[in-house]
Amino acid sequence: MDKHIEELLPFYALDALTDEERELVERYLTEHPEARQQVEEMAHTVSALPYGVATVEPPRRAKEALMARVAADAEARARSSAQSQPSRRVNRFENFFRTFSLATAAVAILWVILLNIQVLRLRNEISALNDRVAAQSESLDQIITNLPQTNPSNVITVSLKGTEVQPQVQGQLIVDPESQSAVLVISGLPQLQAGKTYQVWLINGGAPVSAGLLTVDENGQGVFIVTSESVIGSFNTLGISIEPEGGSPQPTGDIVVFSEL
Amino acid sequence: MARNKNTTGISVRINSESSRLRAHNETVPERLSDEILVTQVAQGSSAALEALYDRYASTVLGISLKVIGDQASAEDVLQETFWRVWKSAVTYQPQRGSFTSWLFRIARNLAIDSYRRQTVRPQEVYMEVGSDSILEEMPDPGTDVAEQTQSILKNRQVRQALASLPRLQRQVIEMAYFYGMTRQEIAEATWEALGTIHTRARLAVQKLREELDREEFEG
Repeated sequence: MDKHIEELLPFYALDALTDEERELVERYLTEHPEARQQVEEMAHTVSALPYGVATVEPPRRAKEALMARVAADAEARARSSAQSQPSRRVNRFENFFRTFSLATAAVAILWVILLNIQVLRLRNEISALNDRVAAQSESLDQIITNLPQTNPSNVITVSLKGTEVQPQVQGQLIVDPESQSAVLVISGLPQLQAGKTYQVWLINGGAPVSAGLLTVDENGQGVFIVTSESVIGSFNTLGISIEPEGGSPQPTGDIVVFSEL
Repeated sequence: MARNKNTTGISVRINSESSRLRAHNETVPERLSDEILVTQVAQGSSAALEALYDRYASTVLGISLKVIGDQASAEDVLQETFWRVWKSAVTYQPQRGSFTSWLFRIARNLAIDSYRRQTVRPQEVYMEVGSDSILEEMPDPGTDVAEQTQSILKNRQVRQALASLPRLQRQVIEMAYFYGMTRQEIAEATWEALGTIHTRARLAVQKLREELDREEFEG
């Protein structure tokens, strides 16, 4: 306990200290809770003093002057508030455009992402098509290799059609009747399930002669080199049947193409 | 500690009365607590300020007149006090004390400042106890009678408590509280030793508290 500061406590409660003395007491009170409680009780007592003063009824003009001043101030506040309304409207527009801009940016970003996905997908398709072109070029190379002895002036084209089993099938046989080979181009043949294959047959009244196994791509198209020990012109019919994988000595399954040559 | 409990109670009352006020806009301002009214003043309600003025203007003018001793200056302080309430209501914090403590401190400080700027001597401040009756002090018809009666009762309790103090002790309290005189100024004005002033102040506050407790004064 600091006797000097304790002497100041009643004057602190009475709000009658110099600024320096007040700061000194307040520092002391933060470290001495018992002194703080004492001061609170003194302050509570002192707060009764104004009630002991003789009340004096103020003249009406004092209240009128005050309330007129207050009314003018309230009106000024209201005017100030009203003037700030346009800026609030501007802020609302700013908020709207900010929101609109953000939404537009988000849509643009989404659009770019979708475009990139589309571009990637197209690139993959192009790559697949390039592979197919390369494969077909290879097939053409084979065809060219197998047709050197063909005399172009003797080449004929025979149209091929699907049977009732596969009526959508269409094809052409490009052939020199005096040659032992021909080019078969076919379309509309569905890819077969595993364990099945298309087999090409050449027929001349007797038993069909196998001309090889045909495969088609996912688009139902196929190019096949037909080869035979006899000249193609010695046969009068071309057939394609569905056979077990590896082919059969004789047609056993559905016949999907059966056309006269 | 007792004051802390009291302020907590005030907060609860404020919340309760705020809810009630929102539910009933027609609530008469004169019936609301000081703390609710000052909250409304902070929100720009001149009606709430008027209600507080009607409730405490006579006390504020009494304090001002006691300190300054000049009617015109005291009225200026009265108006300035409530103008400060109007402009500074948002800064009022119920947890730091009652509204009247805040209000009277504003009035006292303004009055002391005004007094120091002038040369007018303060007048005798307290009425003589027993010089008038409660009925003689009753205000004009139309004011809140219950409220005014309570105010008059408090006035009599404090005056009786002050009257019970030895004159020299009461003098120290008056010089310190109402005239804002420092310990040294009081010692010089009364030709007493500083230690004597310390003792009188301590005893005066202690005695005043005992008397107010005895009279069951509720601030």
